[in-house]
Amino acid sequence: MGGGKGGIGKSFLVANLATVAARSGRRVILIDADLGGANLHTCLGVRAGERISLSDYFEDRVVDLEKVAIETPIPGLRLILGALGHTGKAETTQEQRATLLRAVRRLPADLVIFDLAAGTDRSTIDFFLEADDGFVVTTPEPTAIENAYAFLRAAFYRRLASALQESNVRELIRVAMDQRNERGIRTPADLLGAVEQIDHAEAERFRRVLEGFRPHLVVNQVRDTEEVKMGFSITSVCKKYFGIDIDYAGYICFDDNVWRSVKDRRPLVLAYPTSDGALYVRRIVKKLLGT
Amino acid sequence: MQPLGEQTYYELLEAPVEGSPQQIERAYRIARATYAPSSTAVYSIFSADECAAILRRIEEAYAVLSDARLRREYDARLRRSDLRPGVPTTSAPPAGAAPARDPRERPPAPPVRPAPPDPDVEGSLAPENGVFDGTVLRRIRVSLGIELEEIAATTKINELHLRAIEGNHYEQLPPPVYLRGFLKQFAKCLSLDPNHVADSYTGRMRESSARRG
Repeated sequence: MGGGKGGIGKSFLVANLATVAARSGRRVILIDADLGGANLHTCLGVRAGERISLSDYFEDRVVDLEKVAIETPIPGLRLILGALGHTGKAETTQEQRATLLRAVRRLPADLVIFDLAAGTDRSTIDFFLEADDGFVVTTPEPTAIENAYAFLRAAFYRRLASALQESNVRELIRVAMDQRNERGIRTPADLLGAVEQIDHAEAERFRRVLEGFRPHLVVNQVRDTEEVKMGFSITSVCKKYFGIDIDYAGYICFDDNVWRSVKDRRPLVLAYPTSDGALYVRRIVKKLLGT
Repeated sequence: MQPLGEQTYYELLEAPVEGSPQQIERAYRIARATYAPSSTAVYSIFSADECAAILRRIEEAYAVLSDARLRREYDARLRRSDLRPGVPTTSAPPAGAAPARDPRERPPAPPVRPAPPDPDVEGSLAPENGVFDGTVLRRIRVSLGIELEEIAATTKINELHLRAIEGNHYEQLPPPVYLRGFLKQFAKCLSLDPNHVADSYTGRMRESSARRG
């Protein structure tokens, strides 16, 4: 669950989607990958304190990732805290991330959800691209939408760079990532045209990346029909700009019960199960998991 | 990934080739709002000139796909070709096409035709307790991005009646024989089963009246 901007409700959504999934009988493990600003535990009513966290795993104090997953008040739902360790390091190396991702695949869980940090740094984008389903969260405000596009752009070009091998083409992608580049490559369509001129096989790989990159979109804090339509508009822009099909997974309406539940340190779906916000969270889970 | 100038009219509107007139209309409304000069959705991605170019193509596509005869001719051209010759190579609409609409103008009301029940709407948006009251109808309408005034324009039902239906203001509703017809038309616009919605809504209304005595 990513989105580029902070404060748009990623942790709220992760906590609530996971709670609904756990209550439907799935084994769920959450990973707070926001190492610099972890607070997913608070949304679930868990006190972090000096408890075991991801830092212990990265610093080799714990070898088995499952041992880092602590229980939460919700049966079937465990949490891997992202709290900083004694070294205070928020950055991870590529090797650490690769080791973590291999271990995640072995966790005894039906569903593992990463709550990603704001921004588009390398570790955040790597975790996003590794997921079977990547979610981009935004609110209807221009700032959040701008950051959501920046996030998608970073993820898209990173996936492209790792899929294409020819050095001249990789250099071209690097140039294209700067929107004001001198080659005049403005959009991924322009880039595809430029790649086509260098190497047909690489252009074919480019098209396969386009087909395989299908993130989901959730619009949070929606107040009216116009803002519901924002989700359709964002998917349209992604189609026309990137050439990618985004799935508009759903939206969460603005609901005062949300901040009340955060203040109560309980997931909305448990604290206010009949609220509009809870209804829309359950709808998204139903659509995605068929629960 | 087709450059803008090579996209079919369906690709431009992001509407299915087999789409109903309502789907074409809805796709057009969303596309027009998305690429409007004041749109938040394009900010930071497309420049004003790029949006204007996209809007011109969208108007061109809509002028053809919203006209039954022109659409049939266009579809036939699309089918006849292995390439994409159904797509004009110039930005001029084909002969007989209606002039491009001023983007500031309101779109015409979509034709009043029943939409087939949409399994996705029925499945993911159906009320949890199975009752279609005004609150549920409003939620479904909003989730489809449809304004109440669009339903009023399509069905010719006074918007005040529609508001009363959504607000469960039973005392403000017309007599039952009219209400049932209104509910069925409302349901069709939301791709819901008209009879089921009318039965469910009026049943809930009777229960409420009985409770009040």
